[in-house]
Amino acid sequence: MKYQVRSPLASRFLGTTGRTVAYVVMGLFAAMTIYPILWLLLNSFKSTPDFRLDKIGLPPKWFPVNYAGAWTVGEFGKFIPNSLLYTAAGTLGVLFFAIIAGFAFAKIRSRATPVLYGSFVMGILLSIQSVMVPLFIEVNQLDLLLGALFQSLGIMKATSFHLFYNTRLGMILIYIGSGLPIAIYLSTEYIRGIPGALVEAARIDGASFFAIFRSVILPLTAPIATTIAILQVPAIWNEFALINIIISKNELKSLPLGIMRFDGTRMTDYGKIFAALVVGMMPMLAFYVVFRKQITKGVAGGALKG
Amino acid sequence: MELALRRRAEEQRAYWLFVSPAVILYALVLAFPIVVSILLSLSNYNGGLMFGGKPWSIVGLQQYGKLIHDPQFWLAFRNNIYIVLISAFGQVPLGFVFAYLIYRKIVKGGEFWQAILYAPNIISVVVLGLLWKMIVNSNGLLEDVLNRLYAHGFLGSLNHVFANGFVMSDDLVRQLIKIADPGALATFSDPFTDLKDFLAGYTPDQLSVLKSDLTNLLARRWSPEFMARPGVAMLPILFVFLWCWTGLYLIMFLANMQKIDKEIIEAARIDGAGEGQVLSRIVLPSLSGVIANAVILCIAGSLNSFTLIWAMTGGGPMNVTEVLSIYMYRTAVVSVNYPLSNAIAMSIVAFSLVLIALTKLVEKRWGGRE
Repeated sequence: MKYQVRSPLASRFLGTTGRTVAYVVMGLFAAMTIYPILWLLLNSFKSTPDFRLDKIGLPPKWFPVNYAGAWTVGEFGKFIPNSLLYTAAGTLGVLFFAIIAGFAFAKIRSRATPVLYGSFVMGILLSIQSVMVPLFIEVNQLDLLLGALFQSLGIMKATSFHLFYNTRLGMILIYIGSGLPIAIYLSTEYIRGIPGALVEAARIDGASFFAIFRSVILPLTAPIATTIAILQVPAIWNEFALINIIISKNELKSLPLGIMRFDGTRMTDYGKIFAALVVGMMPMLAFYVVFRKQITKGVAGGALKG
Repeated sequence: MELALRRRAEEQRAYWLFVSPAVILYALVLAFPIVVSILLSLSNYNGGLMFGGKPWSIVGLQQYGKLIHDPQFWLAFRNNIYIVLISAFGQVPLGFVFAYLIYRKIVKGGEFWQAILYAPNIISVVVLGLLWKMIVNSNGLLEDVLNRLYAHGFLGSLNHVFANGFVMSDDLVRQLIKIADPGALATFSDPFTDLKDFLAGYTPDQLSVLKSDLTNLLARRWSPEFMARPGVAMLPILFVFLWCWTGLYLIMFLANMQKIDKEIIEAARIDGAGEGQVLSRIVLPSLSGVIANAVILCIAGSLNSFTLIWAMTGGGPMNVTEVLSIYMYRTAVVSVNYPLSNAIAMSIVAFSLVLIALTKLVEKRWGGRE
């Protein structure tokens, strides 16, 4: 039962118009999401000549061969495993380092905390893309520098040393480093909420911080670990800008780089492009369908004030 | 006493052991590149071994001097500003309005709207960019749909003109000229004579062929030339930015609105407060901190615009849709000018620091009203 304001007629009129406008605008936004995805799906089953004849209708004959073609051209068989590795290792790395650091920031007194923690929080706002060129130069130089060291020791030639540049390890470390700011912010704030008495009691019993971390803190961090993982997985899986400049070796490329191959000269073989885009979209859509509630919660939590 | 000292030492050891992996990685990925970048932007180093290779030296601020007089830098900067503006004044307010509509149940089906409007955030930006490119580019979906609509409309007028079948007359030609698109007519040197000659080639029983040929010839056609026209090439990109990330702010705002005590709002309604008063006296004040935060996050996020634009236009046509990060990438990878590229990198960092400081200032002055 709603209570009416002074002029019921005027307010009801405004309400109806407002409501209609709201539905139209939101409907437009929704349509711009739903229709292009359906359009993409339908056209991925059309042969290129059929697409040229009719861009919006149903496929006259279903043409699943597009997928086989796209799979070969995009080398998805090679890039999807790479993407899985980067995402899994990157996410686990972020989780591990963020939670141990968050424990230290939240529960161990140190004068270094304001500076260190503050710089992580600051990092949330700095765009990692803005340093992709110096980062590229840095990983390249690190290898050359270490290589020169090994050469002077007579172990190997300087140029054949690869630890960070164009390696899986280098890429994973970069993903961990760039994921840390938001993850450390979330884990620190969360662990701060765990009663200090739990830690104090264990300390009085003579437990070391490692033991406290393992037996007191770690079991309680499952919710925030889920949130961090759920934010990291799509971020790493979909990442393009950094891996595009850091990785040039074909065997190490990830799915987004494979999808990008369908831009440019191949932009005329529409059937394959649509199939490639569907392949690029599906894993994260499935992830979204399964984890929507947690994703929504994590995103909302990431915006909270610290 | 000794025990306390030993405990203090253990505390410090544990602290640094727990913190240092994260600090080292973070420094390697963000802090160190910034230092390297400042150094390189002041130098003449351009590839090769940095230590022990071709000698290079610090040459001063000349790269920054170059940037100030570089029209492409300012063009990219302006495009960045556009994206910041569409984010701060498009995504955030719209996200707030959507969240409010759902929160107050002014529109029904909140779960559905949340799920759909957030969905673009989860899809790979590369996919989104290429998808929208295929929609707005020439031969794309938008062109196809609009031209179908134009053709359909024109066919309606044609049916009207040919209501009594095809009988050749000067009046018929004049009527056709009247309904034809001026742009299409402009391709004829003398529309009246040319059309008359054209019509003479058809017999009355070929009416349906004639109609479709006339539609091709005279109906209005739309071509997505904005992807090629410098002045408006940014429009589709800005539109996709708005569409893609509004859902993110919807989610943020809605989650925080749901934390407001429902009874306060109910009480206000019973006391006769209108929807506008609920919004301005209860919801807005309790969300002011979150709004300020969202603006800061969205400004930071709008500087991560590399991938979407790279996929949609590649910075083209003729580099008019470049943002600073794409210009930086092109300077490093295509023109291989490391000093200039690093100067651009540092200008992006400076730009984001200024913007963040600005929003913090605004937040301090006007935010946090409770």
